[in-house]
Amino acid sequence: MKLYLELIILFPLSGAIVNLLLGGRLLPRRASEILACAAIWGSFVATVAAATAYSAPMTVEITSWLAAFDLKAPISLYLDPLSLSLCLMITFVCGLIHTYAVGYMKDDPSPVRFFALLNLFVAAMLTLVLAGNLPLLYLGWEGVGFCSYALIGFWYRDPQNATAGRKAFIVTRIGDIGLGIAIVWLFQLCGTVSIQQLNQMGANIPPGVITALGLLMLLGAMGKSAQVPLMVWLPDAMAGPTPVSAQIHAATMVTAGVYLLMRMFPLIGSSASLCAAIAVTGALTAFYGATCALAQRDLKRILAYSTISQIGYMMLGVGSGAISAATFHLLVHAFFKALLFLGAGCVITALHHEQDIFRMGGLRRSLPWTFWPFLGGALCLAGLPLTGGFFSKDGILAAVWLKGGALYGGLYFAGLLTAFITAVYTMRMVLIVFEGEEIPLNPPLSKGEVKSLPRVMEWTLLPLALLGIFGGLLNLPEFLGGGVLNSFLSHPGSQELQLSHSSELLLQGVAAVVALAGMATAWLRYGGLRRQLRLTEAELPARGLSAFLLEGWRVDALYDLLFVRTYIRLSGFLWQQLDEGCIDDSLDRIAAQLGRWGQRLGGWGEGRVSLSLLSMAAGAALIIVWLTWVTI
Amino acid sequence: MIVPLEHIIILAAVLFGLGLVCTLVWRTNVIMLLIGIEIMLNAAMLVFVGGSARWGMPDGQVFALMIMAMTSAEVSLALALVVYLHRRRNSVDVDEFRELKD
Repeated sequence: MKLYLELIILFPLSGAIVNLLLGGRLLPRRASEILACAAIWGSFVATVAAATAYSAPMTVEITSWLAAFDLKAPISLYLDPLSLSLCLMITFVCGLIHTYAVGYMKDDPSPVRFFALLNLFVAAMLTLVLAGNLPLLYLGWEGVGFCSYALIGFWYRDPQNATAGRKAFIVTRIGDIGLGIAIVWLFQLCGTVSIQQLNQMGANIPPGVITALGLLMLLGAMGKSAQVPLMVWLPDAMAGPTPVSAQIHAATMVTAGVYLLMRMFPLIGSSASLCAAIAVTGALTAFYGATCALAQRDLKRILAYSTISQIGYMMLGVGSGAISAATFHLLVHAFFKALLFLGAGCVITALHHEQDIFRMGGLRRSLPWTFWPFLGGALCLAGLPLTGGFFSKDGILAAVWLKGGALYGGLYFAGLLTAFITAVYTMRMVLIVFEGEEIPLNPPLSKGEVKSLPRVMEWTLLPLALLGIFGGLLNLPEFLGGGVLNSFLSHPGSQELQLSHSSELLLQGVAAVVALAGMATAWLRYGGLRRQLRLTEAELPARGLSAFLLEGWRVDALYDLLFVRTYIRLSGFLWQQLDEGCIDDSLDRIAAQLGRWGQRLGGWGEGRVSLSLLSMAAGAALIIVWLTWVTI
Repeated sequence: MIVPLEHIIILAAVLFGLGLVCTLVWRTNVIMLLIGIEIMLNAAMLVFVGGSARWGMPDGQVFALMIMAMTSAEVSLALALVVYLHRRRNSVDVDEFRELKD
């Protein structure tokens, strides 16, 4: 078992190292691609082996890492149902994405850097998920942050991409400060950093302190999971290559914040006000993301905003204490969102890097192998009844409803409203991209219209589509026999409340009606002949509400005004007034004065550095001799 | 603690002596002079860490960290100076630079 756990992390890590050291000159291109994919699939096999051998939660200590006086943070891996199910998802989805990336990046000049970073990312993410103590988790946390930064700015020659990378790095760093403080504080309070021990110590910590700690962790999660108010980096992160968007910014990394809160939930869940804060953040983010996605024109930005929104749902689930429902949504979302991004990548490649949806059309006929899986993923996202996305979203909404009270009641309706908007923007995207007449591209493509795609890119869509659509089987609702995942995740100590079957059916009926209504609304607005009307409208620049939504509620402009300009003005003042005017000037004068004295003193010396050194050594030796023999 | 303190001090003294000799003898090259200084600093650091382990006090380790930070700053500055001097005179001989005298 220990071996399996070690291999899960070591495979991608060694893949990254070997690729970095040998790739490029020594290894041919094909070899480094195969190496990168083999590392991830090897890790998947190790995870499956660990899953079959799994019987009870266990901690494996591999080696000591940080040990100084009473701080002990060994490299210890902790495997329980939560981390096991996440590991299975991560290795499988990332394996498919690596395979896809071979096709996507086949003309890129620097595949070694790309695949090494992707592998390193998977290693860091698995470290984060399997970590048995908080410093190790933080190592993985910063590791994924770094890889995300490097991969967003992968095409760094375009300054816009490099800026997007820096923005992601800086914004998530703001959240990481919160997590860092929380870890140090917990160590100071409890004297340990092991997650297991900390989760059992909740009773010994005053409730106010738990709330404060939880808020700090929530800040970390906001940064990493792109929640309001730290969500501004994710839409810009779409500057990276599409496999990166699929792997990091949809399926795995952005769920790290949710995972952190789930992991620490036994500790922080006892504070009701903190749970409410998490739930409100989640609901607000879900609503924000969905409304923004409604007005976007860039295919990848639609998906980015929808990721923000869906992670908001997961936070809402965590805030309502429904860890298994949130995990279920996390897994299903990873499948269908990776699928949607990979499908979008196929579309974008086929159209020669055209990302504006209003310049696409008719792809249903020219790209059938992309269309059908993409449609499956979109139906999951829209929450069409009986797809995986429907069951998982409904699980969260049911948990929120179950909490009751004015606050959670309001959040339930916010969730329903968001589900409606989700259905609308998803179908808008599908209808505009795939339906209608083919739009002549500029410059026009030769006959055949669409560039042929590498086969491997479309093959990887199918397993993800199947998993997304049939993902509901993982966790069926109670009246259909209960969920596998639910019983796997719930541990003996917890008692999650159960809805009666009739009210659960009622809630699912409501959710189904809302999703169908949303899809119908989208059809009424974008379906059939009305689609052409919208295309003509889109020629004009956006105004009013749609411009407001297109720019993401103008949050970027607000932050620019509040923080960026203030900072630039402050640093300009510090530079010109304080540094150059005050410090430099006084130093210059002192130096000039010293120089004048030095000139006078210099006249006495010989001026040879070696002679001065020699005399200094001799003088020091004389002093030491004096101190040892003469004074004693 | 397996290694006794005396051994550490002897090793540090040898290192220090080597560094000193390097600094004094190799006068035709500023870079060798800098390397000598680094070796002496490392010898001092070794004594700090050894003492800290001998008496179980963290202060020595803290000092070692401080020395590391200081050295890295010092080396970057000194190398910049070397590059500058080399550009001006096209030489790295220590005794070439006698502006202090004039």
